[in-house]
Amino acid sequence: MEPIKTQIVVIGAGPGGYAAAFAAADKGYKVILVEKEHRLGGVCLNCGCIPSKAFLNVSHQIEEARESGERGVVFSTPTIDLDKLRAWKNSILDRLAGGIAALAQKRGVQVIYGRAYFEDSTTLRIETNEGQIFIKYDKAIVAVGSKPALPKAFDLGNPRIMTSTEALEIEEIPGDLLIVGGGYIGMELGTVYATLGSKVVVVEAADSILGGADPDLIRPVLRYAEKAFKELRPKTKVAKMSTAGKKIKVTFDGADGAKEELYDRVLISVGRVPNGENIGLENTKVERDEKGFIKVNNRMETADPNICAIGDIAGGVMLAHKAAREARIAIEAIIGEATEFDQIAVPAVVFTNPEVAWCGLTEGEAKAKGIKVEVARFPWSASGRALTFGRTDGLTKLIVDPETERILGVGVVGHNAGELISEGVLAVEMGATVRDLAETVHPHPTLSETFMESAEVFFGEATHVFSKRRIEH
Amino acid sequence: MDIKLPKLGEGSESGTVVNILVKEGDTVSSGQTILELENEKAVAPVPATAGGVVAQVRVKVGDKVSVGQVLITLDASAAAAPATLPPASKPAAEQQRALPPQPASPTPAPAPVPATPAVEPAESREMEPLPEGEAPAAAPSIRRMARELGIDLRRVRGSERGGRIVLSDLRAYIENLQRLAFAPRPAAAVAAAAVAAPSVPAAKPAESIDFAKWGPVTRKPLTALRQTIARRMQASWHTVPRVTQFDEADITALNDLRKKFAPAYEKKGTKLTLTPLILKAVAATLKKHPLFNASLDAAANEIVFKDYIHLGLAVDTEQGLLVPVIRDVDKKSLLQLSQDVAELAEKARERKVSLDDMKGGTFTISNQGGIGGAHFTPIINLPEVAILGLGRSALKPVVREDKIVPRLMMPLTLAYDHRLIDGGSAARFTVDLVQALEKFAEAELKLS
Repeated sequence: MEPIKTQIVVIGAGPGGYAAAFAAADKGYKVILVEKEHRLGGVCLNCGCIPSKAFLNVSHQIEEARESGERGVVFSTPTIDLDKLRAWKNSILDRLAGGIAALAQKRGVQVIYGRAYFEDSTTLRIETNEGQIFIKYDKAIVAVGSKPALPKAFDLGNPRIMTSTEALEIEEIPGDLLIVGGGYIGMELGTVYATLGSKVVVVEAADSILGGADPDLIRPVLRYAEKAFKELRPKTKVAKMSTAGKKIKVTFDGADGAKEELYDRVLISVGRVPNGENIGLENTKVERDEKGFIKVNNRMETADPNICAIGDIAGGVMLAHKAAREARIAIEAIIGEATEFDQIAVPAVVFTNPEVAWCGLTEGEAKAKGIKVEVARFPWSASGRALTFGRTDGLTKLIVDPETERILGVGVVGHNAGELISEGVLAVEMGATVRDLAETVHPHPTLSETFMESAEVFFGEATHVFSKRRIEH
Repeated sequence: MDIKLPKLGEGSESGTVVNILVKEGDTVSSGQTILELENEKAVAPVPATAGGVVAQVRVKVGDKVSVGQVLITLDASAAAAPATLPPASKPAAEQQRALPPQPASPTPAPAPVPATPAVEPAESREMEPLPEGEAPAAAPSIRRMARELGIDLRRVRGSERGGRIVLSDLRAYIENLQRLAFAPRPAAAVAAAAVAAPSVPAAKPAESIDFAKWGPVTRKPLTALRQTIARRMQASWHTVPRVTQFDEADITALNDLRKKFAPAYEKKGTKLTLTPLILKAVAATLKKHPLFNASLDAAANEIVFKDYIHLGLAVDTEQGLLVPVIRDVDKKSLLQLSQDVAELAEKARERKVSLDDMKGGTFTISNQGGIGGAHFTPIINLPEVAILGLGRSALKPVVREDKIVPRLMMPLTLAYDHRLIDGGSAARFTVDLVQALEKFAEAELKLS
C-alpha cells in the first residue's frame, strides 16, 4: 500500500496534540492527527482534568449541602447512584471528544485511530484495527503524553490497587481507601472519595502535601483534610503491599516504625511517567533524558530536525495548558517564525477544597534561589464576599520585587482560586507592578478584590486590613 | 546585605559614580546619601536603602552603574539601623531635584548648555543586559515583536513602572541602534540629518589617534555632563546657520545708576549687580522684537512666538556649563531679579539647581564679563533662536559731541539663527538693546 503523504503529522490527540493539529491546519497545512485510544482528547479529557473536575463538583455540592445546615437550610443526607454519576461524567467526555472530532473535520484534519511507530525520521507506521498505514511526513509532532506511575512493587495485577485512571471510573465507594502520594492528584481524588463516603488515609513520603506550593497556601487544605480525611500521614512510605482476600494488606515505613493495615482499595498517585516507549523513537535522531522525556529546545525542536515534541512527553510541568501553549510554538517554529516558549508564569491549580493556585515565582523558590522579594498577603477573613458564602479560609498573596515593585508571583488559596489566578498570571506575564494592580478598579463584592487589596497591603494602605508595617517580610 | 542602585526617577536609570561618600567600616543609616551619580542631566545623590556597617564598597569613582547594581555591601550582623526600604516612590521624586556639580557663582561661560527638554539621550535606553534567565518585564506581544526583530529585550530600557518595556521603548531602542549603525557618515549627510531632527546627537568621534607617539599623555573619560554639552553644541552647530553681530554699549550711566542704588538694595538684603539690569534691558528689547523670543518648528513649518520671557543665564561650573532659567523677567522688579540671581548662585553652589530650573528658556545670555575678554561668538541654545554674549566692560576713549571722553564700554555680540532672523532685524535688535542699556530708566531701579 502506498504511504500517505502529509506535511505535518501529530501523534497524540490530547490538549497539546489536537491544538497543534488545529493550529497547523489553520495555517493551511495538510495535517494528520493520530490517536491510539478510541476517543480524542487524551488524558486530560478522558481520565484527568475533566472527569476529576466533574466529580469534584459533585463533591463540593455534597459539602455545601452539609454546611448549609449551619445557615438554616437543611438538606437530607444525599444518596448516591454511582451508575448515574458515571454516566453523567461519560456524557461530558463524549460531548467534548465529539466536539474535538467535529472541529478536526471542519478544519480538514485527517484523524487516524491507531498506534503510531516511527520507522525512521520521515516515516510513521500506524497500527489500526483495519491494518497498517504508512505516513510519509515533512514534520512530526510528538504529543504522546504521560501515564500514572505504578511502581513494580505495587503492580500486583489486583484491580483494587488503582491509578488515577481507574479511580476516575469509581467502580465502587470503598470503605477504607489508602492514597499513596499527597500530590495534587491524590489530594483531589481523596476529596472526591471522602465526600462520597470513603474513610481516606493519605500517606506522603515528603514532609507535607502538595510539594511546590508555599506552606501558607497549603494550610487551609490541610485543615480541610484533617476534618474530611481519616488521616494524613506525612514522612511515611509504603514498604510493601499484598493481596489479603478482598482487601489489600499494606506495610508502612513511617517515623514511628513499621505498621500493617488493611484497605479495601489503594490509589497510587506518586507521579506520572512519559509515554516514550514502543513508539520507535530509537529509529529517529530524537534524544531522551534519563527519565525518558524527549529533549527539546525552547522552540519545541528535538535533536531530529523533522520532529518536534510538546506536552508531558517534552518534560517540565505536566499540565494541559502548558502543552497547548507549546503546541502553538511548535507550529510557529515549523513555519519558521521567531517563536519560543518564553512564558514567565505557567499557572498551577489544585482543585482541592479549598482550591490552591499559584503562578510565577513562589516564596519557596525565591528563598531557594536567593531572590530578594517582599510578600503582601490579604486574608479572606477580611473579604466581604468570602463571608457571604461562609468560606473565609482563603488567602491572596503577591510576591514582589522590592526594587522595581514588579509582581513576580501570585498565590491564591480559597474558593474558586483556580478561576481567580488568571488575573495574577496576566499581571506577572505583562510585567505589571503592584501599583498597577492597586490602581485597577475591581468589582465589588467579588473575590477578585483580594488582588487589589493585597496590592494595597503592599503599600500599607489596604482598606479592609490594618497593618502598622508597610510590608510583610 | 547588599545595597543596590535604586531607581531614582526618569532618566536616572544609570550613571557614572562621581563621588563616594562612605568607606568601609562606616556606619550608614537608611536614607543617608552614600554616593553621587552623574547622568546626562544631573548629579544625583544616591541614598542607602538600608542601614548598617559598610563591609565593602563595590564601586569606584568613574564606574558606570545601572539600576539594581550592587553599590556597597553592609555587614548584616553589625546592622546599625533598621533595614527598612524607603517607600519606593518617594525617593525618586526627591532625588531627582538634586542637581549640578560643584559650586560656582553665576560667572560667565563661553557657551550655553541647552536647558530645554530635548529628546531623551538615546544611549540611556541601553543598559547592561539583565543576567541570563531573568525575564524582562514586557508584555508577551512586545516580547514576540522583539524576537521577530532580533532584539534582545534584556538590553532595552523600560520606561514604565517597574521598568516595564513598552512599544515606544522598543522603538526608541531601535532608532538608537539605527543611528549608531549609520553614524560614520560624511559630514554633509550628518548635517542634513541634524537639520531634519535638531536634537539628533551627531556621529561618533573620529577614529582614535595614538597621541602617545608624540609624548606622554593622560586620558580621562568625558563626564556625562560634558558628553551632553558636546552633543548639544554639535547639534546646534550642524543645524543652525548662525550669524554673529558685534557691537558695544556705553554702560557708564547704567553703572552709575547701579552704584547710586546699590546701598538701598543692600538694605533690602541683596547686592545690586549689573546682571539684573542687563536682564531687564534684554527683556525690554525682546518685547519689541518677539522674533528673538521665538522658536522654529521646522516640522510644522511654523514660528512659535512665546508670550513669556524666560532668560537662560549661562553658568560656568567646575563640572561644566549649566544654563538655569530666570522666569518672567519682564514682569519682575529689579529687586526681585536681584534676589533671583543671588538665589541661583546659591543654588548652583549647593548643587540644587533642578532639571526644571533649566527648562523653558526663551533666550540666553552668556556673560564673560566677570572673567575678562571682549567679543566672542556664542553658540545658540536650541530651540532658542538667539543668544547674547557679553564681554568685560572697560573704560575706552570714545567721541561724544566732538570730544574724546572716557566711557565704560561693554562689548556685546548677538548670535542668531538666520533661518528665522535676517540681518536687518538683528541690526535693529542690537541697536535697540544698546539703547536700552544706555538709556536705562532710573524709575526701574526705584524701590517702592
